[in-house]
Amino acid sequence: MANYLSPFQTIKSACDRLVIAVEDVSDLWPSVKEGFEQRLPFQKACLNNKTRNPVFVEQLPAEFILTTDPRLRSRFPQEQSVFWFREPYATVVLVTCEDLEEFKTILKPRLKLIVQNDEKEWFIVFVSKAHPSNDQATKMAKKVYAKLEVDFSSKKRERCCKLDLHGTESIFWEDLESKMVESIRNTLDRRVQFYEEEIRKLSEQRFLPVWNFCNFFILKESLAFMFEMAHLHEDSLREYDELELCYLETVNTPVRQREFGGLDHGDDQAALLNPVFKPLTQIIQDDSFREFEFRQYLFACQSKLLFKLSRPVEVAARGYAFIISFSKTLALHENALPFCLREAWVITACLAVINSTSSHYDGGVVAPDVEKEFYRLQGDLYSLCRIKFMRLAYLIGYGVEMERSPANSASLSMLPWPRPAVWPVSSPDASSEVFAKEKIILQANPGAKHFDIQRKPLPLEPSSLLREANRRRASLSIGNVSELLDSRHSVTDGSGADGVSKFSPSSKTNPSSMSRNFSGPVNFESSSPSLDRPMRLSEIHVAAEHALKRTISDLDLLKSLSTLQDFEQKYMELTKGAADKYHNSCWKRHGVALDREIAALCFKHGNFDLAAKSYEKVCALYAGEGWQDLLAEVLPNLAECQKILNDQAGYLSSCVRLLSLDNVLFSTKERRAFQSEVVRLAHSEMKHPVPLNVSSLITFAGNPGPPLELSDGDPGTLSVTVWSGFPDDIALESLSMTLVATNNVDEGVEAIKCSDAPVLKPGRNTVTLALPPQKPGSYVLGVLTGQIGHLRFRSHGFSKGGPPDSDDFMSFEKPTKPVLKVFKPRPLVDIVAAISSALLMNEPQWVGLIVKPMNYSLRGAILHIDPGPELMIEESQMIEIEDYMSVMERMPQITESIALENVSSISTEKSEQLLLGNGKIALPDWASDITTVLWFPVRAIDDRMARGTSAVYPQRQSVVDGMRTIALKLVFGAFHNQIFERTIAVHFTNPLHVSTRVVDKCNDGNLLLQVIMHSQVKASIHIYDAWIDLQDGFVHIGKGDGRPISSFFPVVISPSSRAAILFSIRLGSMTNEDEVPTESILNMRYGVSGDRNVGAHTPVSANPGVERELLFKSTLILQRPVLDPCLAVGFLPFSSDCLKVGQLVSMQWRVERLKDLVESPRSTLNVLQDELLYEINVNPDNWMIAGRKRGHVFLSTMQGSRVVITVTCVPLISGYVRPPQLGLPDVDDANISYNPAGPHLVCVLPPTLSSSFCVPAAA
Amino acid sequence: MIVCVAVVGQQNNPLYLQSFTEAGDELKLHHIVHCSLDVIDERVNNPKKSWPTLNETFLGLLYPSENYKVYGYLTNTKVKFILVTIDMEVKDADMRNFFRRFHAAFVDAVSNPFHVPGKKITSRSFASRVSAIVKSFGSGTTA
Repeated sequence: MANYLSPFQTIKSACDRLVIAVEDVSDLWPSVKEGFEQRLPFQKACLNNKTRNPVFVEQLPAEFILTTDPRLRSRFPQEQSVFWFREPYATVVLVTCEDLEEFKTILKPRLKLIVQNDEKEWFIVFVSKAHPSNDQATKMAKKVYAKLEVDFSSKKRERCCKLDLHGTESIFWEDLESKMVESIRNTLDRRVQFYEEEIRKLSEQRFLPVWNFCNFFILKESLAFMFEMAHLHEDSLREYDELELCYLETVNTPVRQREFGGLDHGDDQAALLNPVFKPLTQIIQDDSFREFEFRQYLFACQSKLLFKLSRPVEVAARGYAFIISFSKTLALHENALPFCLREAWVITACLAVINSTSSHYDGGVVAPDVEKEFYRLQGDLYSLCRIKFMRLAYLIGYGVEMERSPANSASLSMLPWPRPAVWPVSSPDASSEVFAKEKIILQANPGAKHFDIQRKPLPLEPSSLLREANRRRASLSIGNVSELLDSRHSVTDGSGADGVSKFSPSSKTNPSSMSRNFSGPVNFESSSPSLDRPMRLSEIHVAAEHALKRTISDLDLLKSLSTLQDFEQKYMELTKGAADKYHNSCWKRHGVALDREIAALCFKHGNFDLAAKSYEKVCALYAGEGWQDLLAEVLPNLAECQKILNDQAGYLSSCVRLLSLDNVLFSTKERRAFQSEVVRLAHSEMKHPVPLNVSSLITFAGNPGPPLELSDGDPGTLSVTVWSGFPDDIALESLSMTLVATNNVDEGVEAIKCSDAPVLKPGRNTVTLALPPQKPGSYVLGVLTGQIGHLRFRSHGFSKGGPPDSDDFMSFEKPTKPVLKVFKPRPLVDIVAAISSALLMNEPQWVGLIVKPMNYSLRGAILHIDPGPELMIEESQMIEIEDYMSVMERMPQITESIALENVSSISTEKSEQLLLGNGKIALPDWASDITTVLWFPVRAIDDRMARGTSAVYPQRQSVVDGMRTIALKLVFGAFHNQIFERTIAVHFTNPLHVSTRVVDKCNDGNLLLQVIMHSQVKASIHIYDAWIDLQDGFVHIGKGDGRPISSFFPVVISPSSRAAILFSIRLGSMTNEDEVPTESILNMRYGVSGDRNVGAHTPVSANPGVERELLFKSTLILQRPVLDPCLAVGFLPFSSDCLKVGQLVSMQWRVERLKDLVESPRSTLNVLQDELLYEINVNPDNWMIAGRKRGHVFLSTMQGSRVVITVTCVPLISGYVRPPQLGLPDVDDANISYNPAGPHLVCVLPPTLSSSFCVPAAA
Repeated sequence: MIVCVAVVGQQNNPLYLQSFTEAGDELKLHHIVHCSLDVIDERVNNPKKSWPTLNETFLGLLYPSENYKVYGYLTNTKVKFILVTIDMEVKDADMRNFFRRFHAAFVDAVSNPFHVPGKKITSRSFASRVSAIVKSFGSGTTA
């Protein structure tokens, strides 16, 4: 059956659609042909697929062929079973007949003969030529057709239909179409069944020796082809898939050594999408096919069907998998294949799949994830292609131009070298080329890293090419390695990058992984005379190039390997293709890794702008995900681009990023290079100084522990820990820091500055910042800003007390811990007077001030003391300060002992004497935090003499008289920024208040004058002596000096108590002399024993210890009794019972002359004898006077003459009030007798209620 | 031979990467591991029927490359374990077993109270344990 292969191919190529046979019995075809062919292709056909499920096929093509056509006639019967797919799928019998008799005798037997073959699906089309107007003919045709139906149609199946040539009904055509489709369906079913049966039979023999894959293939492909013709592509595809599985099974059975194929010219160009690349007859081998061609053929058939099914994505997916698996297969046969055929094939295969799928993919209505998948697959294909292309380029010496990036290294260094049976050898006449290659190697820039970064370049090769190539040349023994090494040195010393570095590590590190590379068959026979010495690298390259030129037939690929420029162009194209596709898919990281390669090439070609952009993308990805190792590899390149582009901002930020990478990634020397770059730029003249973010490099934190606490208005110094990530000390021009209030975000933040220009050491630094007064609230650290040279930088990086945490890229959370708390304004200090009771007037007295700091240090505080008027500070005296607490402890004893003795002495432990200068004193340091009492001596000045009062008419002294004020100003705080001001009132008083009373009038005219002394101070008063200098008209009894008996003294008056002394006096004669005092004066010598903590005390004396007696003087007014009244004034009772507010009342006084006016030298001068001046004294708040308050009345000088003075008044307030008094200013008081004698009160009732506003009380 | 094992955190940040190649070419393994995150992302984001269900922590082969294979494992805390091997014949069961042991070691390492979650694993005992697991994996397959 194998010999059917050739005809099978021919038949297949000739036959592309279903065939419908037309049995033209009555020569009708020419007249109906047009109508029939118009029905093609079938718009919608319902066919059964392999599993007998109905499938609707659209646009099913078919062809009508007359049975008389040579295409149907000239077939050998035995062919039919195999090539059944080309046989007609339906037979249309075209008949016409106008005569019943003719039908019976001629047509019917003939038809019977035609349709007797059961195999055929047939039906009869009866064509009626009768014109509708011709009734006779029409009737006859109907009759004949009826007969025909009876004879040929059965109940099961209608096999007849009638076409009226002149009719117009379309029912016929639909009928015809359905009948044709039905026939095709039936035929298809039968043939599928047949093929399946055949295939099943053949499959059963698969493990028998007679098994022949070719036969199986012909059957299987026939079936597939038939499905394809019927547009049942899914089924067809399934057949091919099964065929592939079956083939792989056959191939993998290691029974026979088969030829693999791939040795023909042009085989390096993948034919995986071209099923007709090679005729199958060429690749047949025994009973099967050569794997190399056949698998590509199968894939081509599959992809053709997939494209027909509009599934280019699947083509890409299958294509990628196929390429990978086929590449492995090629690797197995590599030693038999031309040099690097595998690589060339993969490259062309990938490009073919990419191109065809791209052209078939319209990106229309596919789900987004399918689209992404498609682009991902294309990216994979591009990247596979790229790797293989790089491998080829490396072999011919372009390796030195390749970027040794991680991506390239990952794909190439684990990819084994090609393993040809014999490594190609350079021909001796290629010395010029060898020289050229050597030059390339020597001239190659080994890609010195920027910033002098020393890195071992990443390998691009699984093992040294030099060694591998020489090994595979097979003539060299292991012993030649030393020679090899020598030559290698001589070759690569200049280049440095290529052979040297990878040789040793890769050869010794991966022995296990690479060992299988060395196990290829070694052909000793192929050694040539030139192999007596190992090839040099350049020779290897030249040899490889020659070998590749022999292998590769694809002109495009050849061209792209011909020169470096072409290589780079192709390389760029593939890299860009892969990157673009990956970017369109979900595989961003793949795309970005390729962007890095694009950038490297752009950089190499001086296209720094593009390079920088790509590098930035790469860096952003690596930095974003924290892949610092990878970032450290790319970032120097970006920095270099930016440096070349003069992008200072970018360059600086790159340098900072380099510095902020993990310490282990760069050596100290490299990091110093980065720093010096930053410093150099910072100090150079930058056109546009750029702000720089160094958050990752310089971080800061508040000091551990509680935050600094300040009172409102206080400045302070804030200490901040700053971590520097610079490898060396770095000098800053300035450093400042913002504070952010936690409660108020909107408020503008103010930067606080570091006072000096700090130099940051690597690692931890403590920086102190001067803190101006802040508003109340709590503050956290905001942004650190500073300046290096002209460069302003800022940092938002917080550290939690550790070094800058470089891998902590995702959590720069702000610490909530406040670093500073400023309290709301509150009293910080209080100063009150230490005593509440009065001090002695006119004597130097201690005034105590309790200075009470309230949780606030008064260190360095200065107190300004400004005494008010009538008060002076005894500047000669020291000021004393003592601890208040100890005073308080002593307080009980002090109060106890006040009455007994003078305890006023400084005996507390903490006390000090201070000097008042210029009204200021500085508080001592020990007093800064404790409550203290500050004593300073003052003297209140009052030049008025104390006045005694009458005990009968006591008159209160005004307290205000003794009040003095001291203005205090305390300046404190660390910067003397806090001010406390207060005015303190201190009460001064005379020690005693004196009142007098005449206790008794003796019969002998002596008066007992009681002098009552009220102590005004909280101290004991010792009276040592007391005497009265009497006024005119009074004399002491017995001509004495008026002193009481001296043995009474000293009299002690306890605090706030009273004592009295009796003096005996009598009236004397008036002398009327000018120098005689009109007032009596009480003199007292006394002493005070009190404590300054309590009140009045012994006056401060310049020389302590000497107690001095004090003198107290008080005036006393003694009134002579009215002995010879001239006038009597009587207050007449009111006319009404009671006075009411608002009611007019007449006040009446009767004035009566008691005796004749005696000529008085003092009064005659200005007083008329019979005119009397009167005056009403009244409190205007209580009374309203109607009438004259002052005036003259006539009073005769005769004894007994009288006059009544009436004044109308209105009382203004209710209560007991003093009524108006009548005074006679011209007459001496001593000559007037009043009745009542003293002041008296009258009762004034409230006004009567207005009834209109009152509700009567309930009865 | 396993050439590299890596632990990648939730934010796709590397937490741990150990290579077993001895040569100074870890960077390419960084690259491979980093790129394989693409595949994990894709699988996690659009689960398809063809891939193992998400309930399964073992993600299987991520990367059918010509010369190396990358396997993945996703913990319930979205931490990824990635393994790069140049063995072409690896049984899934062996791989599952490896990852299970590796996971146990990882859990022990991050349970250390001094370990900050989300930070690189610096524990030396973890490293030695990983090395032991890797070594035993190699011997298991050859035996």
